[in-house]
Parts: sequence; C-alpha cells; structure tokens
Amino acid sequence: MTELAMLFLLAAAAFGISRWLRIPVIPLLLMAGVGLSITGHAPHPDFIGSAVELGLTFLVFAAGIEMNPDRIKPQKTAVFWVAPIQFVAAGLTGIAVALAFGFSTISSLYLGFAMSASSTLVVIRQLRASQQMFEPFGRLVIGVLLLQDVIMVALIVLVSRFQDGAHAILSAVAGTAACAFLAYRLQKSILPKVLLKSEIDPESLLLAILSLLFVFAGITYSFGLPPFIGAFLAGFALSSFPVNGVARGVLNSLNDFFLALFFTAVGAHVVVPGLMDLTIAIIFATVVLLVTPPVVTAVAEWKGLSSRSAIESGLLLAQHSEFALIIGLTGQSLGHIDARTLTIIATAAVITMTLTPLIANTRLTRKLLHLHPSRRRGTTEAQMKDHVLILGFGSGGMWTLKPLKASGYRTLVVDDDPAVVSQLQKMNIDCLRGDASEEHTLVKAGAIHAKLILAGMRRVRDAENVLKFAGQVPVFVRVFEKAEAAFVENLGGHPVLNSKAAVETFMQWYQTTDSAKPTDD
Amino acid sequence: MIDGSFMTSLGIIVIAASVFAMAAKPVRLPSIVAFLLAGLTVGPLMGLVELSEALDLISEVGVVLLLFLVGLELNIDKIKDVGRSAFIVGLGQVSLTFAGGFVVGSLLGFETKTAVFVAIILSFSSTAVGVKLLETKRETDLFYGRLAIGILLVQDLLVILLLTFLSGIGDGSNIELSVIGKSLIKAFGSMALLAGATAVLSRYILPRAFGWAARSQETLFIWSLCWCFLVVFGAHVFHLSAESGAFLAGFCLAQLPYHVDLQRRVQPLMNFFIAVFFVSLGVKMNPGAAIQNLSLVAGLSIFILIGKFLFVFAFSLVAKHGRETGFLTATVLCQVSEFSFICAAIGSAQGLIDEATVSIVGAVGLVTISISALIIQSNRTLAAVCERQNLLDRFPSKPHENVKPHQRRKGHIIVVGMNSLGRVIAQRLIKRGEPVVAIDTDPGKLKGLSCDCLLGDASYVSVLDDADFKSAKLLVSAVQIENVNDQLAFRCRAAGLPSAIHAIDLSVMDNLLEMDATFLMLPKVDGVKLQNKILREKGYLDG
Repeated sequence: MTELAMLFLLAAAAFGISRWLRIPVIPLLLMAGVGLSITGHAPHPDFIGSAVELGLTFLVFAAGIEMNPDRIKPQKTAVFWVAPIQFVAAGLTGIAVALAFGFSTISSLYLGFAMSASSTLVVIRQLRASQQMFEPFGRLVIGVLLLQDVIMVALIVLVSRFQDGAHAILSAVAGTAACAFLAYRLQKSILPKVLLKSEIDPESLLLAILSLLFVFAGITYSFGLPPFIGAFLAGFALSSFPVNGVARGVLNSLNDFFLALFFTAVGAHVVVPGLMDLTIAIIFATVVLLVTPPVVTAVAEWKGLSSRSAIESGLLLAQHSEFALIIGLTGQSLGHIDARTLTIIATAAVITMTLTPLIANTRLTRKLLHLHPSRRRGTTEAQMKDHVLILGFGSGGMWTLKPLKASGYRTLVVDDDPAVVSQLQKMNIDCLRGDASEEHTLVKAGAIHAKLILAGMRRVRDAENVLKFAGQVPVFVRVFEKAEAAFVENLGGHPVLNSKAAVETFMQWYQTTDSAKPTDD
Repeated sequence: MIDGSFMTSLGIIVIAASVFAMAAKPVRLPSIVAFLLAGLTVGPLMGLVELSEALDLISEVGVVLLLFLVGLELNIDKIKDVGRSAFIVGLGQVSLTFAGGFVVGSLLGFETKTAVFVAIILSFSSTAVGVKLLETKRETDLFYGRLAIGILLVQDLLVILLLTFLSGIGDGSNIELSVIGKSLIKAFGSMALLAGATAVLSRYILPRAFGWAARSQETLFIWSLCWCFLVVFGAHVFHLSAESGAFLAGFCLAQLPYHVDLQRRVQPLMNFFIAVFFVSLGVKMNPGAAIQNLSLVAGLSIFILIGKFLFVFAFSLVAKHGRETGFLTATVLCQVSEFSFICAAIGSAQGLIDEATVSIVGAVGLVTISISALIIQSNRTLAAVCERQNLLDRFPSKPHENVKPHQRRKGHIIVVGMNSLGRVIAQRLIKRGEPVVAIDTDPGKLKGLSCDCLLGDASYVSVLDDADFKSAKLLVSAVQIENVNDQLAFRCRAAGLPSAIHAIDLSVMDNLLEMDATFLMLPKVDGVKLQNKILREKGYLDG
C-alpha cells in the first residue's frame, strides 16, 4: 500500500502539472516514475512488474475497444496510404540511425519499431482538447493511429515467438488469427445481442467485460504470446457501436487508474539515462520530429487533403507511440534488448510526447505553410467582383447557396476538403480548394472585392484573419458559443449564433410533442 | 513481464466471480455470497488459484476503496447524529458477544484459553460485507445505514486495539495491564492525530486544491485516489487500519461539492477490486477441517447470527432508537469480520489456538457472511413480517428515522451539457414551467440555474440513475462529444425514453438515427437558416 501511495502521489503531481502547463500527461507520468528511481525510492521490482503487467493489459484492452473499423471509413484511402508509409519510413530511418550508433541488429530493429508509430492516447486527447475530431485531418489522423496500433500488435505477435523458429511463429500467427476471427464474430453478432438486449446491472456488466478480457488473454497466453495481445483482441470484440459506448461507460475509471499506474510504474522500471543515452534519445526524438511530418504531409496531400490539413496531420503524428514502450518491455522480457535500449526508447517517447502540443499548433502550421512549395509559386488575384464568398461549405452549404443563387448573386465557395470541392465541381458550382484563413486564399478568392462574406469555418479563430483582411466587406460568421459571438463582434463581424437557432428549432419541435406542458407562450 | 502466474490467477478469479455472480442473479443470491462460493470453488475445491502478494494488494485496495466510497457518501451532517449511538451499540454488542461466545465455546468443548480467544475474534462484524450490501441497496445514507457504518467503524478501532494487543502479548504468558493501557493510549492518540491532520488539510487546503483540479475530470479522480492512498499511508504510519484511513480520506472529500461525482467514478473501480477481495477470501477458506467439526461450526454460527442480532437490537433500544432502526441495524451486523481470519492466523502463529480452530473460525465466517448477506438483502421484508406477526410490538416505534430522503422525480426533462445550447434550452424549459434536471461535469457551468443540478459525467449510468432517468419524459443532450451522445441515445432507446440529441456533424447522424434518437439538433443547419433570415432582413436576399 505504501508503494501504491507513492506511485499515486507522483501520478497526481503529473496530472496537476499536465493540467497547469497543458502538456500531455503520459510523459509526465513516465518522468515521475524515473524521478522515483533517481531518488532511490523505486518500489520493489515484483510490485513494479505486477503493476506494469496489469496496467499494460488494461491499456491495450482500452485501445482495442476504440478499434472500430467504421472510424477508418471516412478517410479510408488516405489512411491506408499514410499509416504504412509513415510506419515504414520512420521505422527504417530509426533502424538506420540505431545501426549508425553501433547498436546490434536486434536492438536496432526494436529502436526502429519504436519510432514507427504515433501515440493514440496523446493525439486523441489533443484532438479532443482542440475540438478537431470531426475535421478531415482529425478523421485521417484517428484512422492512421488505429491502423498503426493493429500493425504494432501484429509485430509484437511476431517478435514474441521470433526466437522459437518459423514453426512457433506460424502457430502464433495462426492462433492469433483464430482469436481475431473469434473476436470478429463476437463483435459482429454475439456481444451486441448479449450485452445490449439483456438487463445487466453495472457490477455484473463490468465483471462480464473483464472476464472476456481474461478469457482472450488466457487463450493468447496458451499460444505463448503475451496476455495483452488477447486483451487487445477482447477490446476489439467490444468495439462495435453501441457496445463500445457501454463498455467505455463501465471501464472509464479503471482505464484512468491503470493509465496512471502503468506509465508511472514503467518510469520507475526503466534505468535512469546517462548523458550518452540521453543524447542518443534526443537524436532519436529529433529523427521522429524531422521524418514524420514531411512524410505524412506529402502522402496526405497526395491523397487529397489540403496543404494545411496535411501539415497539421504530420505535426500531430510526430511522436512515439505508447506501443513503443510496450514493444520495448516485450523485447526486454524476452531478452532481445537490454535495459539501456528500453531507457532510450522511453526517454525519446517522453521527449516527443511532451513536444506534441508545442509543435502541433496553428502558429507552426502557418509558418510551415509559407515554406510549402505551392505557396512559393505566387498567387494571382481572382477576377471576381461583387460576388458572395462562402468560406467553408460544411453541412449547411446548400442552404446557404440556393437562396443566394435565387437572388441572382454570383458565388464562390472556398473549402479545404477535397471531397467537398470535387462534389461542387461536378455540380458546376464555382469553388476554390484552400484554407480560407490564409491570406493568399482570400486574395485568390477576391475577398476584398466581394459584396458579402459568409464564414462557416470550423475554428472561429480562423475567422480572425478573414475579418482583418476583408476591410469594409460585411462578414457574417456562424459560431456556436456566446463567447465566440462576442469575439466576432469585437472584430467588427456579424455573428450568427448556431446554438440560438438550434434552441428555437428545438423549442418549436418540443411544443408539438405530447409531453410538452401547455403554456401561454 | 510475460510470467503469467499472477495474471492467470487474477483471470481465474475474475472469470469465476463473473460466472458465479451471473448464476446467482436468477436465485437472487447476493453477489458477496456468489464471490465467496466462487473463491471456494476455484480455491480449496479445484486448486486453480495461487494467491500472491500482488493479489493480496488488490484485495486490500478493494477494501480501502469500499471504505473510501463510504466516507465519500457521508458528510458531517449525516454522521454527527449517530456518533454516540455507534459507541453505545458497538461497545455493548462486542462485550456481550465476547461473553456469550466464551460461554458457547466452553459448552462446545473448547479449552478456556481457546474459548477466550475464539470469543474475542468472533465478536466483530464485517465492515466490508455490511457496507458493500448497504451500498448495493443504496441505503448507506439512511439513518440505520449510517448507524451500522458507525458501529462497524467503532469495531474497527477495537480491532486495531486487539491487533496491537495481540502482537504485544507474545505467547500469552505476559499479559499486563500496562501493555493494555499503552495500546489503548497509542491507538486513540494515533487516531486523534490522524483525524486532526486530515481535518486541518480538509479545512484549509483541499477545497482550493480540488476546486482547481475539478475542471479536469481525470485530474480530480487521480487526485482523490492519491489523497485516499496518502491518508491510508498515514494510518499505516500511526499503526491504524487501512480501512480507518480510507474512511477518513473519503469523509474529508465528502465535504466538497464534487463528492457525488467522485462516488460515481470510484464505484466501478471498487467493484473490480472488491470482487477480487471476496473471491480471495473464499480461496483462503479450508472447508475440509470445518466439515470434520460440523457441530462446532453450526453452534457458533447460530450463536453469531442470533446473538449478534439480539445484542445490537437491544443496545439500539438502549440508545433510544426505534425498533425499526434496531431491527435493520442488527441485520447488518450479524456476521463474523474478515479481521477474524487475520486474528485467527496471528493466534495460530503465537500458539494460542490450533489449526483446526482456525478452520472452524473460517467456516463460521463463511456461513455467517453468506446467511447475513441474504438477511441484509431482504431485511425490510423480514421487518415487515415481524411487524405483521406483532413480534416487535412491545418496543417503541420511530418509523420516520428510516424514510428515504430522496423522492423519485417523475415526468421531468434531463438536459445534459450546459454549453450555449444546453443552458439556453434548460432556461427556456424552466421558463415554461417544466421540471428540469441539468447535468454537466463543470460546476461553474451549472451555477445560476434555477433547477435541479447534477455534477457528473452523463456517460456513467449512475449519473443517469441519480437523475431518475427512467421516469423522465425527455432527455436532451447538447454535449459536443460523439461517444457520449451515442451512448445517451442508446440508453434512451433501451429505456423507451424520447431523446433530443446534438448532432455535432452530419457524419455522426447515422449512429444517432440507428439508435432511434427522437429529434436531432443540428445547430450548423439551423445556423444557416438563421443566417438567411438575417440576410433577408438586411435586404441581401429576396423575399
């Protein structure tokens, strides 16, 4: 209990600092654990071993629950290109750098694998915090992360039986495939019926879900694989909608508890890095920061994302994955790598995860946009005048467009989503693909000569540039929160409060329902 | 890391707990009994589980979280009226059970020394069992529930004295009054010090610190667990029980406005750990030796079940409580404590009792815990039967003591998410005279609303239960989190409740329609309509 109190004291400090400085909590938890080692108060190795093992199982289980294939669908093509190319490019670079530093082949492979994927936990938190989950690049990034997690799990399956020869690898792969098929069947037809159509109290539901976890963990363990592979597949079995929501509802607290426990324990488990190891870890972190953004940006843009979205995707994916730690721990327990290699992986992960919110921000994105080759070609001012400029087509684009057309206006739509632009082109609607918050796009769209600008951009902050650039042109900006409306008003714009409009529609609907109380209104 | 003995044992425990709990539901057997039977099956009967330090720690965390949760539910106003009664009933019941246990033990053939020891360790009731079942029945905040918890905590203090005493007397040849006196002073002094320290912290530090942390749900949760484990550590330093520390930690946080939300978050965590605790308890039982001494086990069990019930009932009347309170409180306490197993193990190690007696104590524990679990579950029915048979007529009645304070809401509207959409909807509905329950995770966003407000995450079923979800007439979710909206739509469909859900984006509509959401709020589309209306008013659009 003393050891648990110690770990949670550090975890609490990490969560507090994370909230204060707005940086991801995972690297802070790892650093807290390392700090415990430095002071010589690290808990007993048996305790750390059990904490890591249990925490890992729950962490991977939670990752499996998010593995709903439907989440990959919206950007399927881009996801299937970006994920493997980033994986291979970052991985191969990592292997090359490790070999150059004189690491053995096997250690170099592990160091490379550790660099190849990005962190689902860090990125999803970042996307939620910035409310960018529904932007095209947000969906792309989530799809890429989920696919990379699957690749990492498959890799761990191979690595776990690597030393036992081809036959063992084949039987492990066959066993995992059988488990995956079982999980798939459960996901598709069995669990939705069992869990959703019967009245189960929360305590029994929790135990039933955890039983599924341990059954799968037991099966994969019987194939000589780490139990967390089974945990991942059990999570996948629960990933269909709405079973995943029910599972999340009962597992939230356990996930938070084990996340704190796992990363702090891993921090306490790794050896404190010396100056040389720290330097190497910084180099590996730098490689991730230099390789991932351009590779992801290039591929994402090639597959149809706007320059800005592609750059944002690249910056957001530039960190080590939590699976880097898992693969490192697996390698160490199998005797493939030593404690020093694991320390380098963990230290590099701490660095890249900590830097994520610092590099994945609008300011750096804009700076990089100026370096983008397409921006250096220069722009030509559009010929359009007295037109209505629609910035961001979005869900209600047609409702905006039709009455304008009916009133005889010439319109130009600017949107950064290639799918939207392509659709508009098919309908012979004047449109321009680009980021409406960028000055050069506004120049191209003839914003200062427009009669009217209607902005429905996803981020209200993006409207700031439009309002500054548009001068005397009236700009109507659709916003959700009252604070955003005040922001637009202060900059001279005309806010249109979406939420207020939705309230009116709701109230009209409500008054037609049987449950509405009669009123004098 | 891939050594699976710990994980295998944990897996077997969890699977067994789940299977037995599911099997117990149709026959209305309490989950505690199911867990104990699961432990007996995978432990002594099948030998599948190997208990380890890690599993013991998980069990200990389970009891700590249970008591932390109980503390979280009790604020000062709820507990100050039971303190005196808890001491009277707790001390009275333990004294009489000890005396009676000694007589019964002697009659059943124990030697004097063994009879004294067995009588001592059978005197205490199980905090984990009593509290867990009260918790399951959601009756911890009723008067009898609070009184029972108070008595159990008084007994915990006595157990600490006993453990200190036992470890001080060696092989029993050196029992001196000075040792007992020192033990008493040490235990009470320690408790006063720990309570004082936590009281100062909870008065001056915790409100501000937790107020700051409350903006992030995860931070609040992890900080509360940290606080719990730190106070438990403090209790350990002062040689007090982990349970006392956990209760104290929870009790301090119960004075903060976030305590209800914390309860909901701790509950599922506790459910997992406490299941491991009870299954492990079953694993530790030795039914073989007990079967050989069936008459002893039966005799002692009957004494515990009937004797403890009568003693608690009698002392409740002495403490001037009504027969209803006495009856219900007594049902919670008629079993043997899990501490008895620890005391028995210490007694055995010090040669005070033999192995067979340890097994007998274990079997009495299993029998009384199982039967008392059934009794607690149906204590109100039993009380009603006794009333009908006029068995309690001669004792004073105070039925108002245990009236449930929370009246179920009916026909109300639940509004989740107090952003610019949810807050205005709530205000408009209130203005129409509709009964509204507003839910948000941020206490700041609930301020100033003239309706019932619930602080919490609506993705927790317990939050919806607290909002009397099933008897509401409509649920409105203005939340901008896809997962939460999906889940709310699903729960509404399952409960047959109409729902109006915020469709953040057109891409989320498929799931919501699949869940039969009654009305989808589309602010982006409505915003465009409003925009067109404004443009028309300003003369930009025709018509």
